[in-house]
Amino acid sequence: MAHTKLFPVTVVGSWTRPDWLIHALRRRQAGEISAGEFDHVADEAVLAAIKYQEDAGVDIVSDGEMRRDNFYSFVVEKLGGMRLMKLSQLLDYMKDRAGFEEILRALDVPAFAIKSPIAVEKVVERDGIALDEARFLKEHTTRQTKVPIPGPYLLTRSSWFEGLSDKAYPTREDLAKDVVKILRREVTRLKDMGVDFIQLDEPSISQVVYGDEAEQTFMCAALGSRTDPTHELEFAVRLVNETVDGIDGVKFGVHVCRGNWSRKENVLLSGNYGPLLPWLMRMDVDQLVLEMATPRAGEIEVFEEYRNEKEIGLGVSNPRSDDIENPRQIVARVKEVMKYFDPDKIYLNPDCGFGTFAERCVNTADVAYRKLKVIHEAAEMLRKEYE
Amino acid sequence: MAEEKTLNGLRVDKINSILNSMRDDKEFLKAVTGPWKSRVVWQGGFKAKAYMRKHAVEMDEPEGLDASDSAASAHEQLLSAVGSCLTVGYVLNATRRGVKIHDLEIAMEGNFDNILKWAGHAPGGNPGYPTVKAKCFVRADADEKVLREIWQAAIDGSPVTQTVARPTKIETEFEKV
Repeated sequence: MAHTKLFPVTVVGSWTRPDWLIHALRRRQAGEISAGEFDHVADEAVLAAIKYQEDAGVDIVSDGEMRRDNFYSFVVEKLGGMRLMKLSQLLDYMKDRAGFEEILRALDVPAFAIKSPIAVEKVVERDGIALDEARFLKEHTTRQTKVPIPGPYLLTRSSWFEGLSDKAYPTREDLAKDVVKILRREVTRLKDMGVDFIQLDEPSISQVVYGDEAEQTFMCAALGSRTDPTHELEFAVRLVNETVDGIDGVKFGVHVCRGNWSRKENVLLSGNYGPLLPWLMRMDVDQLVLEMATPRAGEIEVFEEYRNEKEIGLGVSNPRSDDIENPRQIVARVKEVMKYFDPDKIYLNPDCGFGTFAERCVNTADVAYRKLKVIHEAAEMLRKEYE
Repeated sequence: MAEEKTLNGLRVDKINSILNSMRDDKEFLKAVTGPWKSRVVWQGGFKAKAYMRKHAVEMDEPEGLDASDSAASAHEQLLSAVGSCLTVGYVLNATRRGVKIHDLEIAMEGNFDNILKWAGHAPGGNPGYPTVKAKCFVRADADEKVLREIWQAAIDGSPVTQTVARPTKIETEFEKV
């Protein structure tokens, strides 16, 4: 759905979690409180996340992913046949354990902190993946809404693990068929509910191009298996296109970033989008939601040969820093991007979420709020000039 | 009958009773003091097998040393021994303080000072680790100050860590059979 203002301000999805929500999340995971009791607590957190966004001037709001453990592992509670496993539990199934140890050390993360939904039986849908989130969000805002969901490539790649998944799904491709079927039904229902913007999170695509060559690795998600990069990217394009094929009346975006689990910039992936763009441009989505606020994102000139082919959700704020961006600098950045995108094709957002992982949020609510406010101020300055 | 209270997989009353016995019961203290024993038997090549009470652990060297890499090497197992002892100490001290641990992981690392000494290419120097690094990751129900205090108590009270950290006299004997 088109937005009436130029330079709509939106978020990538997740909001920073208050301690009381984390506490409730842990209690729910430990079975000490019911899902209903947790949702009651989470409702308050979602309302706060919406309020922060609205007060900051965000035009297309999310529910902050406040009910989620992380941006993709939460599906384990929404789908049958999945088991949430910590990487520390997956170590016994790793083919290249020594290589994986190197990755953990480079990232400076414990194996227990990363959880992945693993397909251990046939994956079956229950009551949707994010329908409850979308319903609550729609009931509590008059703004346009964005619902991020894990993309089909991320979900397939992270969920198929040799030794655990192969009884139900002999190959990754077998699992992909069910994942696409479930996601197609999900996005159709989200559209029918009136969600304006569905974002497919596909950060693991970055790892294919910029990451370690290890078959099993991590890029904001534990990644079970991969083949050569070209095959992987073709696979990703096919799955995304099969997921959205023929579904109109809702804006689809694909979000790609280079990692959002640490404030240490040197442990995150880097490189310009040039190697990815030929594949991203073949995805049948309206918008690419891209991290562009740090030098790690590389040169904007790589969009030269893809002028206006898609909208860009331009990352103009680093969610992992305490520094509040200057609106004039954001305006200047947008003007650079306008060499390749018309004003009506530019949306403004932070590079990524503020709480991709519930227990490793990268900023405080206060800083996140001020960052969004500054993006809004930059959007207003641009609107005065271009509307 | 009252339900037995468990925390971190340990029976709280039982573990407190054991710790008190170490203080009050001289025979028990003697039993846990040692001697602790291991018998290491060569298995061919660089392989060895260590027998400890009813347990056995294999050791080998990496393929780069013309070994079969069928098991971790002794120097890796030393790191693991320090990390495991710290884990035990952390769980013990957390449990004594009533702190529930959800996840605990210790990343160990060491670099040899001069491995050429082992290879017979250097007359002097230290072939071992001059420094051993241990990074503790914990997710537990207590504030950071308490969790750091527990970590320090685990380090200070760890028999393996303190053996490695202090100059330890190794008394050797030799016999041709």
